[in-house]
Amino acid sequence: MFLSAEFRAREQVVQAVRDLTAQGFVRDRLDLYSDEPVEMPAGVLPRRSYMSLGAVTGAVLLLLLTIGFVYFTQYNYPLVTGAMPIFSFWATGVIFYELTMLGAILTTFCWFLWESGVLRRKRRGPVPELKDGAILLRVECEGNQGETANRVLREAGAESVQELRA
Amino acid sequence: MSERTKHRWAMAIDLDRCTGCQACVAACHAENNLPLSDPESAAKGRAVHWIRVDRYYEGEFPEVKVKHMPVLCQQCDEAPCEPVCPVYATYQNAEGLNVQVYNRCVGTRYCGNNCPYSVRFFNWFDPVWPEPLQLQHNPDVSIRMGGVMEKCTFCIQRIKRAENDAKDEKRDVADGEIQPACAQSCPAEAMVFGDLNDPESKVSRMAGSGRSTRLLEELGTKPKVFYLQRGA
Amino acid sequence: MAAISEPVVANAARAQLWRPLLHTSARYRMVVALLAAVTLWGLFAWGYQLKTGIGVAGIRRPVFWAIYLVNFVFWIGISHAGTLISAILRLTDAGWRKPVTRAAEAITVFALMIGGMFPIIHLGRAWLFYWLFPYPTERLLWPNFRSPLLWDVTAISTYLTGSTIYLFLPLIPDVAALARHTTGWRRRVYRALSVGWTGSDREWHALEFAMKLMAGIILAVAVSVHTVVAWDFSMSIAPMWHSSIFGPYFVAGAIFSGIAALLIAMAVIRRTLHLEAYLTEHHFNNLSKLLLLMSLLWFYFTVAENLTAWYGNEPKEMAVFGARVRGPFAPYFWAMVICNFVVPFVLLGIRRLRTIRTATIASVCVLIGMWLERYLIIVPTLSYGRLAATWGKYAPTWVEISISAATFTTMALLYLIFAKLFPIIAIWEFETEVMEVSSVS
Repeated sequence: MFLSAEFRAREQVVQAVRDLTAQGFVRDRLDLYSDEPVEMPAGVLPRRSYMSLGAVTGAVLLLLLTIGFVYFTQYNYPLVTGAMPIFSFWATGVIFYELTMLGAILTTFCWFLWESGVLRRKRRGPVPELKDGAILLRVECEGNQGETANRVLREAGAESVQELRA
Repeated sequence: MSERTKHRWAMAIDLDRCTGCQACVAACHAENNLPLSDPESAAKGRAVHWIRVDRYYEGEFPEVKVKHMPVLCQQCDEAPCEPVCPVYATYQNAEGLNVQVYNRCVGTRYCGNNCPYSVRFFNWFDPVWPEPLQLQHNPDVSIRMGGVMEKCTFCIQRIKRAENDAKDEKRDVADGEIQPACAQSCPAEAMVFGDLNDPESKVSRMAGSGRSTRLLEELGTKPKVFYLQRGA
Repeated sequence: MAAISEPVVANAARAQLWRPLLHTSARYRMVVALLAAVTLWGLFAWGYQLKTGIGVAGIRRPVFWAIYLVNFVFWIGISHAGTLISAILRLTDAGWRKPVTRAAEAITVFALMIGGMFPIIHLGRAWLFYWLFPYPTERLLWPNFRSPLLWDVTAISTYLTGSTIYLFLPLIPDVAALARHTTGWRRRVYRALSVGWTGSDREWHALEFAMKLMAGIILAVAVSVHTVVAWDFSMSIAPMWHSSIFGPYFVAGAIFSGIAALLIAMAVIRRTLHLEAYLTEHHFNNLSKLLLLMSLLWFYFTVAENLTAWYGNEPKEMAVFGARVRGPFAPYFWAMVICNFVVPFVLLGIRRLRTIRTATIASVCVLIGMWLERYLIIVPTLSYGRLAATWGKYAPTWVEISISAATFTTMALLYLIFAKLFPIIAIWEFETEVMEVSSVS
């Protein structure tokens, strides 16, 4: 069962999240929906991100691929120019640098699409319709948690609490 | 180049012999199917001469002395035009020649900018020859289309023919056997073509002469055209 | 607590910022038609050049590169408006940047598209441009990765990819909001572009994290891109090109012209869309100060470049130097100094003169001056080569001028169309700022 509570002020949401966590709700089952970013104080509803790690990995990966590729192509059809060696780290350094950056850019973008879950076909539960200026808190309840959640949300200052249906 | 190849073609030009008659320029035009230009395009700097005769004036009028200097592609060992080409249209072949592959060229003209001797020429349009001049084309030399670079090849078609003849007759190419069109037509016999790898060749001896210099040598391009003049 | 008033403020802002997306005036159509006409003329000129041969341009031996490459460097320079400025401001968390960033990022993407066209336009056989890309071919030949032109290809494609993503990411919440409030084909387009954005806090987190990362990466790429453009010249051994100062000189010049372009775009947007409340004197004042700073930096680099050449007194360099400061190129040189240094220094350096109007005037001067600067870097060096016997004069033809003029109208056209389809001010970023301000009061 999914509940959706509508709030107007950030402080109320913070309160609601704190209370729900105290009641044993796992933070993976709490989601906020808003038409603008909601800054949460440290420790409230933290979302972990490995995006920078991903970007670095992507960068290094593409760097290695590029070095291998350039090395391969130059020996694949070896032509000498202007007394330079056939494969030169100095003269191709810019290419390695740019493709390293391209690796970081592309992984960041893909990581964003994956981590934010926007492209995911199967979503977990129904998504509440956004309302202008409102912050919606979706709570996933199990068994008889619904009663508790409803009470906590209303106490925190929710304007309305509804059950979401797919 | 460092790797030993059989030949290393070079040219020596004795400036003390050069009269500036421009026979080399005309011969080059005939041999290499160079496009012709009208006075307007020549004034615009569009004329193509793989070899040109630069004039240097010494002294004050009326005591003026003119020095002539035929300038062709210097076939540099460390050619600045080569590494800048993105498509390998120009590179160093095994005999040390700075070759230009017309079919690869896309026309960035970077090589032309980077050549300190300005001996690279661009085909601004598809070439046309007034009737009946198209009948005198040299069948051994390809016609270049518009949009590609071209330059002196040391008459590579003559080099290849001589090498093939020598191979058929199972002998080495003799010194003086190959003559590019310019050297062949020089009435003063100022131009000598030959193999630098052969220490006995005429060009080797001239290159080693005390009168020998190379053009813009200070750039480190290591040209394979040697100019001989007094006081050098 | 101003809890109740916040949505009202946000809604009002949204209504005003969305107005141009939903209503098209007759004046807009007229301007678009005019710009499109010039652009089409430029395309015709290019078609003529492709059919007849590159010789219809004024280039000649030894001036093998001329204003096509000037335009290339100029537009790549303009492209530094966006990413660099918006990335620097984003990383330093400058709050005033918020209404400015999208306008800047859009400049980047379009200027790059236009700038990236010029290396192709200037090719002798432009239809073979793809030979510069590494792909397995029946010719068995790979490109020469040692050529600075290949560096250009990779640098510009990386920068274009990065800056498009950098423009697109913060656009997602805006198009999602637009999809909720529009109907018909607009709704379908916006829905597709919003890539399934639901507004969950995970998405917001990922977005902000991605933007921070991208800002860092794009900064590094932007610096390298203009350095590589500079290296096209300084890797060669032509007099006055073979200079180690070119990398930073070009980067500084790029940021300089980028800020000028941004200021002009902002002044036009503010005027035509009546966004006086969002693009305030404050924003223009801040950007003017940045422009002034870059003007000083540009002057410093110019002095450093020319003084060393003059003092060194090397004959081949002096030929180019002399042609620039007292020879046939002198009028352009001194016009450049006035446009790039004197005008901005006076108009923006004196506080009483620093207004939106003078900032716009100074920016137009800077754009002219920076175009001239690139002309003065490329043409004199090639005209005065190492062997005096090959010196030659260059003059552009109608084809080159038409194509160059068309790039400016293309830029304006792309920008106008973009502003018609997407909010030119990032609404969600902006709303946060409005809320922050109102909750403080």
